[in-house]
Amino acid sequence: MKASYTRYIILSGTLIIFVAVWWVVAAALNNPREIVGPYQTGTAFISLLTDPPLTRLLAAGLQVTLTSILLGFALAVVVGVPIGVLMGRYLIVDLFCDPWVNIWYSIPAIAFVPLAMNWTGVSATSSVIIAFLITVFTITINVYGGVRNVSGSLVDCGAAYGATQAQIMTKIILPATLPNIMVGLRLGISRAIEGVIIAEMVFTVVGLGGLMDDAADNLQLALSGALIVVLAIISLAFAEAMKYFTRRMVAWKESQAMIRE
Amino acid sequence: MVMKSSRTMSFSVRFGVFCASLGLFFVLWEVAALSAGNSLILVGPIPVLQALIALLQNHLPRGTLGIQGADAAILQTLATIVFGFVLACIVGIPLGLIMGLWKTAEVLIDPWLSAAYSIPIVILIPMLYFAIGADFYAEVFVTFLLTVFTIIVNTHHGVKYVSNALAEVGKSYGASESQFVAKIILPASMPDIISGMRIGMGRAILAAVLAEVLMSGNGLGGMMMTFQDVLNTPYMMAVVFLIALMGIAVLQLPKVLERRLFRWKETESLSREIRR
Repeated sequence: MKASYTRYIILSGTLIIFVAVWWVVAAALNNPREIVGPYQTGTAFISLLTDPPLTRLLAAGLQVTLTSILLGFALAVVVGVPIGVLMGRYLIVDLFCDPWVNIWYSIPAIAFVPLAMNWTGVSATSSVIIAFLITVFTITINVYGGVRNVSGSLVDCGAAYGATQAQIMTKIILPATLPNIMVGLRLGISRAIEGVIIAEMVFTVVGLGGLMDDAADNLQLALSGALIVVLAIISLAFAEAMKYFTRRMVAWKESQAMIRE
Repeated sequence: MVMKSSRTMSFSVRFGVFCASLGLFFVLWEVAALSAGNSLILVGPIPVLQALIALLQNHLPRGTLGIQGADAAILQTLATIVFGFVLACIVGIPLGLIMGLWKTAEVLIDPWLSAAYSIPIVILIPMLYFAIGADFYAEVFVTFLLTVFTIIVNTHHGVKYVSNALAEVGKSYGASESQFVAKIILPASMPDIISGMRIGMGRAILAAVLAEVLMSGNGLGGMMMTFQDVLNTPYMMAVVFLIALMGIAVLQLPKVLERRLFRWKETESLSREIRR
């Protein structure tokens, strides 16, 4: 109880210090074309929530951005988890996929942006493709690591009691890998968010990232700042939701991987 | 049947399968390019390789007057990456060390770290553009900003989880504070620091190229988007290839080196890639 109070005090203290420093720097420079202070950003944020034309803009952007993130992420989970499991379980799949997974994982997200632009234009579809491409390999690598580290004695025990291959997979390997899958999903969602925002900032015409970049280009820095706040809130919400799910689903196992996080 | 480590397979089998999958990749790429049938969407590996060779010989295609030569672009991008990365190490490693050694510092700095890890810092780039301009130094700063947290987090983790047994031996033999840090903490956390630097370097490439795309329009990032604008797909894909190659070289090659250098410590971070 006491520890969590201290935590809240420190968190709010950090936030206050951040806003204070921001305020002082903005006031000292006093150039609205270079930096806007927290007050203007706050005002813009409120008008973003209350002013009907801006609210419509926000709602449209929010819809596109959230859909892109979730769709890209969901696709990456659907593809990445099975590949990771197969790689961990079957040597031939491992040998065949391992170099590629590592190679594609190492490619910076921005390198996918012009490719996706060629394939599907400056559109939300391209954001989804980019989010998928930079998320799927992170998930695969984590799932693969988890499956490989499943204790052999667990699997042997199952086999000795006559479990079929399917039973070994669903009753032993998947539950034992769940912590790693969750780590993969957590890292994955943060990469998906980053990917979508990068794509939208380059495209400048879709989603919240585009709106933000566009506002900055039109020298509406306060609006741009308010959109940054919106994006930050979205990212924090996703991160907290993933943490919550992880705690719920793998409460039984404080794995090394979770401690490291 | 329990999976055995793939290290037990002979090198020639592994290499054979790798070559097969490499071959399959190029075949798939060519097939995809043929079936797309439109050089604006996708071109096959051969035109891309030709464009890459031309670029490396510093030949630019027609219709791209006024942009940097390929050598200047590569040099500028590399300089941004190196400066930003070195700066991030100079700031990040000591901070991570202090966080790992002093509880107070850890408690104070940790909220910033978790915020920086949950919120994609790339969203600050359009604002930074106006605050600090779009020159070389601004791009170095963006690179620094996107890299430093990875390095802090990994260093902090390495220092924090130095085995207690090691630390206590040092203390009971009367090691001074500086000896304790220099002879025990630093060597024991070196694998994590190095792998943080490796992943940080990968981030630095992303940051530098992204900064070039969004800010100055110079360097490899600017070049990539210029070719995209003039619909020169082979050259655009050649630059993409170059950037991808840089990422692969930075993230994969040192891993081999790490395994050799730190064979005494099979850390989590070596066996599995779980930091972004």
